[in-house]
Amino acid sequence: MPALLAAVLPLLPTDALAHASERGHVLILPTGYYLVGGALAVAASFAVLGLLRGDALERAFAARLPIGTLGESGRLATSLVSFAFLATLVAAGFLGSRDPLSNPLPLTVWTLLWVGLTFVQGMFGNLWRWIDPWYGPWRLASRLIGRNAADAPPLALPAWLAMWPALLLLLAFAWFELVYPAPDDPEKLGLVVGLYWLFSFAAMLALGHAEWSRRGEFLSVFFAMVARFGIVERTPSPDGKNRLALCLPGAKLATTEPLPFSGTLFLLAALGSVSFDGLSKTFFWLGTNGINPLEFPGRTAMMGINGTGLLAVSALLAAAYLVSVAAGEALARGRESGFAAAAGLLVWSIVPIALAYHFAHYLTALLVNGQYALVALSDPFARGWNLFGTAWWQVEAALATGSAAAWTIWNLQAGAIIGGHVLAVLAAHRLAFRLHPTPRAALLSQLPLTLLMVAYTVLGLWLLSTPTVG
Amino acid sequence: MSSFIRKSITRRTALKGFGAAAGLVAGPGFVRYSQAQSSEPIRIGFQAHRTGIGASYGRWYERTTNAAVKAINAAGGINGRQVEIIVEDDGTDPGRGAEVVGKFANQHKVDVAFGTLFSHVVIGSAPAAGENKLPYYVVSEGHHVASTKLNRYVFQPGITDVKSQIQAMAPWIASNAGKKVTQIFPDFAFGYDHRDYLPPALKAQGADVIAQIAIPPTESSFTKYFPQIPADTDVIYHVMVGPAVLTFVKELGEFYGSNRPQLFGFIDSLEAVDVNSPGLEFLEGSHFWEGSPRYAQPDDSDAQKAYRAAVGIDDNGASVDDPKDISTAAHMFGCWETLYVIKKAMEDSGYQGRDDAAKLVEATEALTEFAEGPEHPQGPKIFNGKIHQCFGIQNISKLEGGRLNVVHKTSIEDGMYEPEGDYTTQPL
Repeated sequence: MPALLAAVLPLLPTDALAHASERGHVLILPTGYYLVGGALAVAASFAVLGLLRGDALERAFAARLPIGTLGESGRLATSLVSFAFLATLVAAGFLGSRDPLSNPLPLTVWTLLWVGLTFVQGMFGNLWRWIDPWYGPWRLASRLIGRNAADAPPLALPAWLAMWPALLLLLAFAWFELVYPAPDDPEKLGLVVGLYWLFSFAAMLALGHAEWSRRGEFLSVFFAMVARFGIVERTPSPDGKNRLALCLPGAKLATTEPLPFSGTLFLLAALGSVSFDGLSKTFFWLGTNGINPLEFPGRTAMMGINGTGLLAVSALLAAAYLVSVAAGEALARGRESGFAAAAGLLVWSIVPIALAYHFAHYLTALLVNGQYALVALSDPFARGWNLFGTAWWQVEAALATGSAAAWTIWNLQAGAIIGGHVLAVLAAHRLAFRLHPTPRAALLSQLPLTLLMVAYTVLGLWLLSTPTVG
Repeated sequence: MSSFIRKSITRRTALKGFGAAAGLVAGPGFVRYSQAQSSEPIRIGFQAHRTGIGASYGRWYERTTNAAVKAINAAGGINGRQVEIIVEDDGTDPGRGAEVVGKFANQHKVDVAFGTLFSHVVIGSAPAAGENKLPYYVVSEGHHVASTKLNRYVFQPGITDVKSQIQAMAPWIASNAGKKVTQIFPDFAFGYDHRDYLPPALKAQGADVIAQIAIPPTESSFTKYFPQIPADTDVIYHVMVGPAVLTFVKELGEFYGSNRPQLFGFIDSLEAVDVNSPGLEFLEGSHFWEGSPRYAQPDDSDAQKAYRAAVGIDDNGASVDDPKDISTAAHMFGCWETLYVIKKAMEDSGYQGRDDAAKLVEATEALTEFAEGPEHPQGPKIFNGKIHQCFGIQNISKLEGGRLNVVHKTSIEDGMYEPEGDYTTQPL
């Protein structure tokens, strides 16, 4: 019967429901100027940095404004609360509404966590450290089996595995989010989240919480990476407390260690997956793959194409980055540090770009689904509860629709993309001085990477302004 | 046991027709079943486009559905039982759609599935409905149901199909807009419906299609196609869809300036879009098909007014809570009307539970017409039980002063065509 249907399908009249959508409003904006202007702005920022004295810049980035101390003791409690919250959400995935816009699990995972918390981490700092839902249960379980937090874990993760486990898990996550047909289905997501929590918990019991959070658990790895850009710096002090201070965005990059090759690929895959999410909806991508975008066949039919595309785009981005770094090192004749160290260090400059893409790409989802999330959290099991007084909030689902909103959102997106790349050029500039003490060598080493960043600015703006489905 | 009951009911129903309901209740197994079910709510599985490309339609389909269920329940429900909606998101994805229908049948144990809009999801889901013998009432406007290429469990009783809509436009276009028509359409199946159905319908009215311009679906700039429009064109019949619609209109305006032929289009591509958006100025004075009017009309019936109030749309067809939230008025009424058809068919057949699915199918097929009124606020309809499709009036609206005013309502007959098959010959 399905074969018969497939045969008659092209003969059946269809409806014309591919309506103009929000992208339609953007298509008649003068976005071409933004593409050119963005490219010029990023290129110009490189030129301006070349004229600045490096030490003046570093003095500004070294400034700190102490804002207090924070003990470690609360971390157990906040993590346990977070765990209880997650467990409730997973239960809601199975028992609550089947509607992904009424069930708090998909809304919390995809909107509040993956979009909202990423912004918080990138703007401020590592809040995730306090609300990671494994730390508390891991501490309690360790205590139950008679182990101290400071004890060496039962097993050691081999050094050669570096951050490859995190990279693999990130790619699996991206596949589930972007390729799998039903990542929003509450029950399926509940199963995936529940199993992933158990898997990570077991890994942490065996390998240690800190170690698996640093090299395996991809959310902790990702959130810690983007938090490097935040303006709150935490410094552990000998008395066991954490000193907190404010700094300039990106200031913390000055003290970062180079990432291993797998960590470099991790960061690039994080950016690559968001870029691919944008690309996969463009008429360009669909047309290239022989799909009529006005008859978008749905995610199930796109699984093969998009699964391949996700890997290909991440690999392509990684290749472009590595070639740029290698070319930069060749230009600067960088014998001081070597290619591997340069690639592992300069990749930190990708963080603001990843943040900018994340913001630009998911802004609309955050604005609209964020409201649905607040409503759903008040009644997680669809029982008519109103836990937080938000159950009857009117969701302004059209907040991001219409020409005026399209104009505002486009400008916010373009501002974020261009600003993110300018900050990336700045970060790369500072990191290059760590690799190459002479200004000439440092500047030369950045040229190819700057070109890549200019190109990625244009790509980012194009992804947000070209015709897309949905 | 349950399979035995289903078999026996099916056979008896086939023998006696749906009027046999009273006799069935006398069967010993059936009495026990009906008692167990009688206080349970009627469960309707709503296959919703909550995510994916259909999400903005899905939102309004959900609101309309909720409003109709609220009204039905307030008036006592169906056969004395309250109606409960179980929403499952299909992601506007045919693959997911089939899975969701299967879940409705086997996991949620719903009585009927309902509410699907996008054609490809309907086509992908229909086999699952047939295999599970789950009556499946879609609100899609595609011709797939009426083509009789789906199966006996699939119905479209609440919205007319696109073949009927196109055909019904011809008399008005020929006598009011002009005799020489140029069609501009996207170069794929949807455009071909208009390419194929309009010319014969116009011919019958003494008008002609003098040019057909097919535009590649991935095109985002249209100026280069406009010189193909013959100079003696009276009417441009445009059915462009997708995000580039605003660009199309803007460039058409730049091409013609103030001296243009008549324009006629389908509102589909501007559903949920403010007609006063920048770029659409050129559409002022042009005409559109609308299934149900977006803007309140001076001669709106009391039923239409009550429907609009219940769903929560203002005089501009936007949400009463948010004037920026433009409804999908031309289509969403179909959810309201379909739910009342389900109610009527369940009442006619004395529907008690899933084992009565065959009776429900036959009762739906036995329906012939729906009178205009609170249950059918869009207008009166004729239902053809052999092709599972309703026929109704269409609205032609003129965009004037930034609002769509209905200037003509077609007759039901304008959109009637010869049936292409007969579902009732298929086994249940």
